[in-house]
Amino acid sequence: MNVSNRLNIALVVFGLLFLGGAILAMYLFQPSEKEEAAKDLPITTTATAPPPTQPAVTISLRDELRGLGLGPLPPVVMPADNPLSDDKVELGKLLFFDPRMSGDGAVSCATCHTPQSGWGDGNALSLGYPGTLHWRNSQTILNSAYYRQLFWAGESKSLEAQAKSAWTGNVAGNLDAAMAEERLRQMPEYVRRFREVFGADTPSFGDALRAVAAFEATITSRNVPFDRYMEGDDAALSSGAQSGAELFVGKAGCFQCHGGPLLSDQDFHNTGVPPNPEFESNPLRQITLRYQHRARGVPESVYRSADRDLGLYYTTKRDEDKGKFRTPSLREVELTGPYMHNGAFKALEEVVEFYNLGGGDDPAKDPQLRPLELTEQEMTNLVEFLLSLTGDPIIIDPPDLPEYEVLP
Amino acid sequence: MSKKGYVAALLVVVVLAASAGILSANVLTNGPSAPADHKQALAATAPATVEELGKLLFFDTRLSGDTSISCSTCHAPENAWTDGIALSAGYQSTLYFRNTPTIVNAGRMPLLDWEGRFAAGDMDSLVRDHLAEAHFMNVDGRLMVERLRQVPVYEQAFQELYGSDVSYGKVLNALSAFVSTRNSADHPYLDFVNGSESALSPEARKGLELFEGKAGCAQCHTGELLSNGEMHALGVPENPEIFSEPLRHITFRRFFRLLGMADYVSLRSDPGLYPLTYDESDRGKFRTPSLLEVSRTAPYMHNGVFATLEDVVRFYNEGGGQHDNADPLLKPLELTDDEIESLVAFLSVLGSAEESMDIPELPPYEQRTLGQN
Repeated sequence: MNVSNRLNIALVVFGLLFLGGAILAMYLFQPSEKEEAAKDLPITTTATAPPPTQPAVTISLRDELRGLGLGPLPPVVMPADNPLSDDKVELGKLLFFDPRMSGDGAVSCATCHTPQSGWGDGNALSLGYPGTLHWRNSQTILNSAYYRQLFWAGESKSLEAQAKSAWTGNVAGNLDAAMAEERLRQMPEYVRRFREVFGADTPSFGDALRAVAAFEATITSRNVPFDRYMEGDDAALSSGAQSGAELFVGKAGCFQCHGGPLLSDQDFHNTGVPPNPEFESNPLRQITLRYQHRARGVPESVYRSADRDLGLYYTTKRDEDKGKFRTPSLREVELTGPYMHNGAFKALEEVVEFYNLGGGDDPAKDPQLRPLELTEQEMTNLVEFLLSLTGDPIIIDPPDLPEYEVLP
Repeated sequence: MSKKGYVAALLVVVVLAASAGILSANVLTNGPSAPADHKQALAATAPATVEELGKLLFFDTRLSGDTSISCSTCHAPENAWTDGIALSAGYQSTLYFRNTPTIVNAGRMPLLDWEGRFAAGDMDSLVRDHLAEAHFMNVDGRLMVERLRQVPVYEQAFQELYGSDVSYGKVLNALSAFVSTRNSADHPYLDFVNGSESALSPEARKGLELFEGKAGCAQCHTGELLSNGEMHALGVPENPEIFSEPLRHITFRRFFRLLGMADYVSLRSDPGLYPLTYDESDRGKFRTPSLLEVSRTAPYMHNGVFATLEDVVRFYNEGGGQHDNADPLLKPLELTDDEIESLVAFLSVLGSAEESMDIPELPPYEQRTLGQN
């Protein structure tokens, strides 16, 4: 018997044990859910879709949502090498708004992540670096500190790594790191701030990444109606929104992927989002799309035939990962349209309609997607719930930026 | 929005997508469905030689990162293929710390660039550095190739001239080929050398005698190109703007930092050849430029510190500048004002009567059929 056969058998045995454990766990958890019932507002749940022959289980919506892991976000956890401080956040804010952190000095982070556009850019597809047009939707900075992996296909594993890709990427910031460091060194105010925050003699690109990540980590949801509801304020959600919440975890099944406090499983799924027709007609988008295939090193045959964003495939090169994208958080979703990795949908109603039809028609679509048979009223309620996930707008005015000075 | 509304919106999207597909099929130029007249029109505009292709690329701003500048921005035909300023501008929001040399005769020089960093025949590498450098054109090679692939005229030209798709190496090859077509022609001094006595005025001939004699210019400015192609330190005064203009100082520091100079922060003079050899005796050495086009290529020296030919002659007349590595050939020349005038008169005829070049009309991007890359 060779090693791989042994491995296979070990995997099967492990799988059977795991399955058995899962069944046991389901059995054990069943009664506790019933015990939790009958607090707060009792309503009929459809989450577990009981057969009509059994009596419906009634528990409070709030407890049901809580039981499923929904609720306010915990405090942000920063990486061990990048603890937050006020000075660091202030430095990161300057860098976030500073266009000198791009190759030609024309664009800053805030160009595509503007506070007034929900910290995205409000376009279906992002602008990108001058002379290019980007090939994906600009994602919001709001709550980005909660992701384990950033970008639509999880290409970066931290805010710091994301900032590096955005500043240096050829269709984003097109910035040379050494150029960035020498520009910062030419501004005594930056030199002073970097020294105070990081204790280093001169600004480094790595510290700039840490500072901008620290700033972004402070851009988080505030005063969200849904969170207030979960904390006990019944009036925070309208009855329509409450019905929508019920659908979210029940008939519509949204929470299967949009779960947890972040309302994202942070996993990758192919939902069959239709192509954005702009790729058929806009030469600059076509250039950027082909550039992406090349830059991510897809095989020649894939480069020649690819007609869309390949998503997670760029990273794994596994065929089954084509068209998979990371589930985005639904927090602040009112502010962050258009939606999907390619901005295919302008309005939340379109997104709900898309899922109601069972998603798109990609053969590799996630099997969890199926027609939902929601009524018009149910779709309206679902949208109303989605709107309750948006907190107070966070508007930050562009700060006064340090100036270049002649060095002694 | 009502359910009917969704359906209508979906229909609109489908119709738009379908019509976009039809449109793209119509402009697809390499495919079998391309109309014959369109193909013919394309053939008429597509460059027929590698040099013509290179000319088109030379003027194409899509060869820079943000599509704001082309090679011709700093090497402008109307300025004898320079920018006519002391220190080059470079990429948007940067400023460079050296003077833009002309590309005329560049293909025949034994060493390329002010610091002689590339050997003759390696023009491709010089072009590559200019495209890729953050302070020149700052373009990613993959992005540039995909841009050119979006232009049917280029697609066709590369197929016909190289038998392949657009590639980075072939872009460099075509640009080098064009640069190498820029050579001195219709030139009074060359006519004189070829036997036409009347090509130089008596005063210019007096200057030539000084050039080869008392002034000693021809010790380095010799041969066909009036350059020995070697490296010399002259003690040219620093151009203070490199350090008083923050954008130039940034570029200066970054460049020498990337060449590995430990003291790049405190450095206040251009080290020239030194960071390529780390031989202290190479500090401050620059390549002897050709003088064949010198009447047209002011300001002068690697840092553009001299505005006129007379400034240059007076600099040499004083024996050059102060420098530890100053070339021993340099010594005070004791030229009279009349002699200086004659020498300048000679230098002033060194220049081709080059016809002005028509700026080519650049072929536009066109949409392609997705999935037929």
